[in-house]
Amino acid sequence: MTGNGQQPLLEGRGVSKYFGGLAALSDVDFAVYSGEVMGLIGPNGSGKTTLFDCLSRVQEISDGQVFFKGKEITNKKSYQVAHMGLARTFQVIRVYRKMTVLDNMLLSRQWGGQGMLQIFRPSQQRTKKRAHELAKFLLLDHVIDEKAGNLSGGQQRLLEIGMALMPNPDLILLDEATSGVNPTLIETIKDRIRELNEKEHKTFLLIEHNIHFIADLCSRVVVLDYGQKLAEGTPAEIMENEAVIEAYFGAYGEGENDSEA
Amino acid sequence: MRALAQIWQRHDLGKWIIGLIILLLLALPLLQYIPSEETLVTNLLLFSFTQMFMLVTLASNWNLTGGFTGYVDFGHAVFFGLGAYGTGIVMAKAGWPFVPALVVGAIVSAVFALLIGGATLRLKGPYFSIAMLGTLVAMREIVRVSRPLTGGGAGLTLPPYLNRPLFYYITLVLAILVVLFIRWLRQTEFGASLIAIREDEVGAEMRGINTTRHKITIFIIAAFSSGIVGGLWAYQNTFIDPDIVFLPARTVEMVMMTMLGGLGTVAGPVIGAATIYWLRDVVWANFLDYHLIMQGLLLILIVLFVPEGIMGTLGDRSGTTVGRLWGKYISPAREGTTQAEVNP
Amino acid sequence: MDQFLQAMINGIMLGGFYAAMVLGFSIIWGVMGVINLAHGEFIMAGAYFTWMMNREYGWEPFLALIVILPVFFVAGYILQRILINRVIERPHLISLLVTFGLSIIIANVYKLAYTGTPRTVESAFSGFWRAGEVTIPITRSYVVVAALTMMAALHLFLQYTRLGKSIRAAAQNREAAQIVGIEIGRVYAITFAICIALTGAAGMLASPTQAVFPFMGAPLTLKAFAITAMSGLGSIPGALMGGVVLGLIEVFIATYVPGIGTNLGIVASFVILVVVLVTRPQGLFGGLKPAGAL
Repeated sequence: MTGNGQQPLLEGRGVSKYFGGLAALSDVDFAVYSGEVMGLIGPNGSGKTTLFDCLSRVQEISDGQVFFKGKEITNKKSYQVAHMGLARTFQVIRVYRKMTVLDNMLLSRQWGGQGMLQIFRPSQQRTKKRAHELAKFLLLDHVIDEKAGNLSGGQQRLLEIGMALMPNPDLILLDEATSGVNPTLIETIKDRIRELNEKEHKTFLLIEHNIHFIADLCSRVVVLDYGQKLAEGTPAEIMENEAVIEAYFGAYGEGENDSEA
Repeated sequence: MRALAQIWQRHDLGKWIIGLIILLLLALPLLQYIPSEETLVTNLLLFSFTQMFMLVTLASNWNLTGGFTGYVDFGHAVFFGLGAYGTGIVMAKAGWPFVPALVVGAIVSAVFALLIGGATLRLKGPYFSIAMLGTLVAMREIVRVSRPLTGGGAGLTLPPYLNRPLFYYITLVLAILVVLFIRWLRQTEFGASLIAIREDEVGAEMRGINTTRHKITIFIIAAFSSGIVGGLWAYQNTFIDPDIVFLPARTVEMVMMTMLGGLGTVAGPVIGAATIYWLRDVVWANFLDYHLIMQGLLLILIVLFVPEGIMGTLGDRSGTTVGRLWGKYISPAREGTTQAEVNP
Repeated sequence: MDQFLQAMINGIMLGGFYAAMVLGFSIIWGVMGVINLAHGEFIMAGAYFTWMMNREYGWEPFLALIVILPVFFVAGYILQRILINRVIERPHLISLLVTFGLSIIIANVYKLAYTGTPRTVESAFSGFWRAGEVTIPITRSYVVVAALTMMAALHLFLQYTRLGKSIRAAAQNREAAQIVGIEIGRVYAITFAICIALTGAAGMLASPTQAVFPFMGAPLTLKAFAITAMSGLGSIPGALMGGVVLGLIEVFIATYVPGIGTNLGIVASFVILVVVLVTRPQGLFGGLKPAGAL
């Protein structure tokens, strides 16, 4: 799936992000190719979500460039990038808690790219159908009229994924989609990602702490540490990479008393 | 409460009652011509209703940015005032007739909204609110010192035109049109986008909504509409000065009415405006001196004890509460929770 | 040149007053997350107290502090317990609205009691010192001295007393503060009380130099907001710098822009406010926490 010489779907060159004196990201180069499921891992605070923020344009990039589908998006706004076909979920679950699952999905449909007048159209029936279909796909159809705040953590994660999928994006950035989810649902999520990837050729970039999840799903993994790219390769290669092991476990090693939060 | 709400929905009572009320309102001035021992309908009554219709419109306009989009504007009265002055200046100084003058006033308001919105709409939560309050007060002072154009502190007198029934009808029709417009707007994608912006602006933008454009658009619409009310008010009052028109208390009224009725609902501002107006006029007319004090108290009570508003209590889920609006902007006392969101 | 110098001095003096005026507001916001829109009304109340003492007993304005400080302290404590407490942990909009309602109530109560006629406070210290071509109003100088004293006292209190440290701890991390045994409710109440007392004192400072009337509070609240947002919540040095900056800007505009007058001080503060907030949400100087990080 990842041919060399093929143009990456999403590419970052020298991406850096500074918060005051702190470098959350330093000179990160990476690429995601169309049709992959790629993983992004690293210890807490390594800058994974910051990278997502920069890629999805929720945050400004201090230095470097980002390209999506060959076009530079370094200075675009997040809605513009969304129109181009990029979607993401957030580390802290951001569903509309007081609204129903259905309303949540409907509020996530694709907007605009159209002229000003078009947005005064009434809500499309077509979208409702898609919302129902997606809900079914994600095992949420039986709770579709429940308030999102009443769902379990795992169901909320699924809802977030559903919301990200509503506009039919080409590239989906999932931020800790399995965090706080029980093992059965994790399997479901894994399943669905695989299905979307194989059947609909959707590309995924996953931030995860769950190594098994990554190993099962991803063909390639990038490791970040302290805002820098530490390693890149297949899951197997990564798990044997000494530097990676040290980054993750060095702080938790026996006899060591730093506890990295 | 539930049972009532269910009956309401099943028979769609709402539509019938509203229709009835509107018919009554339309007929009201005509009652003047019914011969009877007492005057049923005085000009004063008509005037009263006119004021109420204007309040309904203003509260509904405010609700557009405040309740629907979540940008609580503490200075909305500035658009009312600009409409008043735009109309007033053009009529008093240039001798224009009313209707074109009214349009000018509304346009001035809308243009100002475009200019100021570009800056203030970038601000979040309370900063936006207070920046708009500052805008209101600043504009008041600017108008005050621009004597040659605006008549300064001494005010401006418009050509008089005393026709209570006419104003009554105009404001009634305007109120109806505005509420219908808002009802329609809510069903469109634009309306749904506004609600998304209110609920989660970052998420909304991530999901493809051009938040800046949407915010400015609704801001201008609300300003234009309030500008019209301002122009009407100016003409009816025949006299305007910076203090009556750019009154922070006016914005508070709008906020209170909408909150009482139900932030972000369509009917909320209408019910809230009507309720507060009658409370004020009927109950408080007897306690004239304490009028504003009671208003302040009422505001506090509403905020603390009726967050859902009347419509919310009746089961209208489309709106929001004061609490939810800025749930993210909680005090540092809850620092623990917000840090997790802020630090990746 | 002399005009410039005069403007500088006037600006700094005005700034000194502003700095003192802002303290209460800034700390309430920084420690409790409450934006007190009734701030100006407490200043107004303090000014009225001063005027009452001045008129009834011929007291020098500064003497009024004897009455103001304890009364406002107690009032603040009570107010916090019955009202402000309910809005502390809730979204800012609520505290804004509640304090706004409070401001309307207070302003109109005073209007009822004293009518809207502007009052003046007589001081034996009126008059000027001259230094070359420059005049320095005596009353204002004392105001500045008093203001600086207040700020220094507050700073020492916060830095070195146990209560002061508890307040700072509570501001930075409520839960951690509670864990080490700091009784948050009491800390908040006392903080609020102190701040209201300070604000009442600011009213005293204001009274010799401006007309006292029930609605004098609103512009002051706005200025307090502008200064605090600019200079960081709860920051005393920030308040000083911010206050002086605003004072200088107001005076310079009044001096060099013909026919304007001090009304436009409001416009100045507003414009500064918006510009700062849009360009530098973290405020200009440090403090307990930057203005943007609510």
